Formats: sequence, structure tokens, C-alpha cells
Amino acid sequence: MIKMSQNLNNNVCNENSFNVIFNKYATDLHDFLYYKFGDHLNPKDKVQEAFIKLWQNCKKVSPNKAKSYLFTIGNNLMLNEVAHQKVVLRHKQQGTKSYTNESPEFVMQEQEYLEKLQNAIANLTEAQRVAFLLNRVEGKKFKEIAALLNISTKAVEKRIYGALKSLRTQIEEL
Amino acid sequence: MEREYLIQKWLDHSLNAEELEAFKKLEDYDALQLLNRNLQKFKAPEFDKKQSLDFITKNLKPKKHNNWNIKWIRIAAILVISIGSFWYFNKNNNTTINTLASQKTNIDLPDTSNVILNSASNLSYNEKTWYTNRKVNLDGEAFFKVAKGSSFDVKTEKGIVTVLGTQFNVKQRNDYFEVVCYQGLVGVTYMQQPQLQLKPGESFLVIDGKTIKKEIQNKLQPAWITNKSSFKSIPYKHVLSEFERQYNVRFITKGVDLKQLFTGNFTHDNFEIALKSITLPLHLTYSKKNNTITLKRE
Repeated sequence: MIKMSQNLNNNVCNENSFNVIFNKYATDLHDFLYYKFGDHLNPKDKVQEAFIKLWQNCKKVSPNKAKSYLFTIGNNLMLNEVAHQKVVLRHKQQGTKSYTNESPEFVMQEQEYLEKLQNAIANLTEAQRVAFLLNRVEGKKFKEIAALLNISTKAVEKRIYGALKSLRTQIEEL
Repeated sequence: MEREYLIQKWLDHSLNAEELEAFKKLEDYDALQLLNRNLQKFKAPEFDKKQSLDFITKNLKPKKHNNWNIKWIRIAAILVISIGSFWYFNKNNNTTINTLASQKTNIDLPDTSNVILNSASNLSYNEKTWYTNRKVNLDGEAFFKVAKGSSFDVKTEKGIVTVLGTQFNVKQRNDYFEVVCYQGLVGVTYMQQPQLQLKPGESFLVIDGKTIKKEIQNKLQPAWITNKSSFKSIPYKHVLSEFERQYNVRFITKGVDLKQLFTGNFTHDNFEIALKSITLPLHLTYSKKNNTITLKRE
């Protein structure tokens, strides 16, 4: 009986649990959307929209379903807007230092390497790109990514390892 | 095998100290480090949690209200629908016809009765109950040609006109109530007074609460049907009002006696001539600006 009544109240309709969920998933959702779709569709807006939708449907969503709900909504919001375009993630510009000990050749090489890397990332599959960048850039472990994407650790491992291989061959080739 | 295992562990951020040493000795360690270093430049832009949460919270508040409001909106909607349908089915199924200033219209009622509605007037009747209850509501002026049949009532703010099949004109404007009978017999009930009978040519006129006797005229229809307004000893005020309705203008008067009686007519087809015909006889000058006409004594 106690369990049941808990379950009944178990939705995200109160502000406290909503905030907890926001703090737990907002950044991950943002990063996921960014790595998957790039920034030209404004992932930040989609995160906010997804959370607003979650609130509006708060009675139907239990806290343990909130994560997949948010990721699905965020994903759909993006898909609604884009007929698949190739996603090119832009790298940040080299820090403009007023002085540098690095030789001009070195700077050139670095720049060249970055260009290659950018192309190579763009050529990854969407699934590879998301998993790989969450792993490398956001420092997430396989298990964490698996939980976020609702797939098995093994699958994550495969995607990331595949992405690494693909990047390396592309960079060396060019 | 060993190499692949180490790379896997490195990827998963789970190398232990010993494995890390071994990893560093791999021949592609440098390449991996270079790759990893450069990958950092593709990091997603910083996500400002606080700002986003503020934005979301701001957008949530009205929703909460809505939840509460929806109940009331539902209740209100049910009330509106039920009252509306009650009203619709029980009382009224009125057909309403409006004319604007400087517009006339011809209306055929459900029997062969015919109404010509003068400018700025409003006529309504119930189509459903027409054959048991021939009744129209009138605000303004209209000329009726009533088909023979049961009694026919014209209800105005000031009085009720009852007939049996005839032709007559009813004019009800502010402080002005006039019924003219052209054919048949017309009964007028004015302000609860006993009914008065009008024979062809007779008329009943009340201006500013005063009943005014009018001599018998033998016309077949009111002048306005032929696009003319005709007056016989009518206070000037009512002439101007009629003019305003026919030409959709406003009068401003300066030093003009609005109570003096006016006899004459003006046409509905020519503004200049019409204006002259109501001003010249009284030695008034006029100036026009947009829709406003200023009248002055000469």
C-alpha cells in the first residue's frame, strides 16, 4: 500500500524534484544534442523546450522515466527542424596569444591537423560521433554513456573504438 | 592484443597506474595524445544551467495557473453552451437586418409582405413563428406593404402598430415617432395610451413627447422610397438627423435655432443640392470638413 501511494505521487510535478532532474540531466542533454546536431539549431533552446514539455506532462512521467523522456523530446525537437544535414562541429580558434614560442611551421601544422580532424569528425556516423565526443571531450565512462543513450556498454565500446579507428586512419591518410 | 586492451582501458578512463605506464610506452602514444589534445577544441559550448533554469521556471508559472484555470474555463464553457442553447431553442430565432447610414434595403418577409428599410435602421423578426405570430421589431424607419392575413405587429420602443393588410410607414427615431397610413386600416398604440385608428392618408406624429395633428395627405407611399426626404412643419433638429442618416455626415451648428419648423425636402442622390435645399431657405451658410458640416447663420 505504501509503495503504491508513493508511486502515485511519484511524478515530477513538484518544483523540487523538477529541479533535481534539471540539475542532473540538463548539461548532458545539451552536450548530447550539441554533438549530435551541432550548434546551428541551438541546442540550448531545445533543452529548455524539452524541460518545459516535461513540466507540462509532469503527471505522466515518473522520475525514472524523465531522462529518456527528455532525450527523446530533445532529439525529436531537433529532427523536426532539420532534414538531415551533415553536421560539422567547429573547433575553437587557437588562443590568440600576444607572444608565442612556437615556430610558424608548428602553428601551421597544428592548424592543418585541426582541419583534418574536423573533417574526420564530420565523417563519423552520428552514433559514433555522439558517443566518442561524450567520452573524449566530456570525459564520460562507457557505462555513463550507455545509461544516457539507453544502449549497452558493449555497444558504446564498439562505437567509441570504431570512431577512434576511423579518425586515425583518416588523419594519417590525408 | 595487449595494445588494444590498453587503448580500450584508456578510452574508458580506467587505466590503473601500472597499465598507464605500459600505455605510455606504446608506439602510438604520442599520436593518441595529439589527437586527444586537439579533440578538446571541439568541446560543446558551456551550458549555462542557472540561466536556463531561470528561463524555464519563468515559463512554467503560467502553466501552473492554467491547470487551475482550465477547470473554471470548462465550467464556464458548459454554462455558456447550455445557456446559449436554451436561449436559442426556447426564445429566439431572430432574423435581423441592419442598414448603415446612406443605405436602404428591401426585405421580403416569409409571407408576401414586403418592407423597405430606410437608412440607419434595424429590423428583426422570428422566422420560425412567423405564421402564428406576425411581429417585427423596428428601430428606425420603414415602409410596410403587408400581405392579407392575421394581425401584423410592428413593435418599436415608443409604440406598437397593429394592422390587418395594408401599406404604412413607421418612423421611430430619438424623440420622434410617426406612423402614416397609405392603405387599409392601421392601429397605433403609443405609450400605453388607448389604440388609435388611422385611415388612409391619416398620420400619427409625436415629436418630443407632443402629439402633433397633421392634415390628410393623399400620397401612395412615403417620399423616402423615391430617394427624397420630405418634411412639413418639422423641427429643424429632426431634419438634420435625417440628413445625417442619409449622407453619413455629422452636423455642428452655431447659433442655429434647432426648434424652428422646416417645410421642404431634400434628395438622397445629390449631396450638394440636398445640403443647399435645407440651408438656403433658412439663410444658413455651411462649410464641410471630412464628414463634419458646420452650419452658421448668415
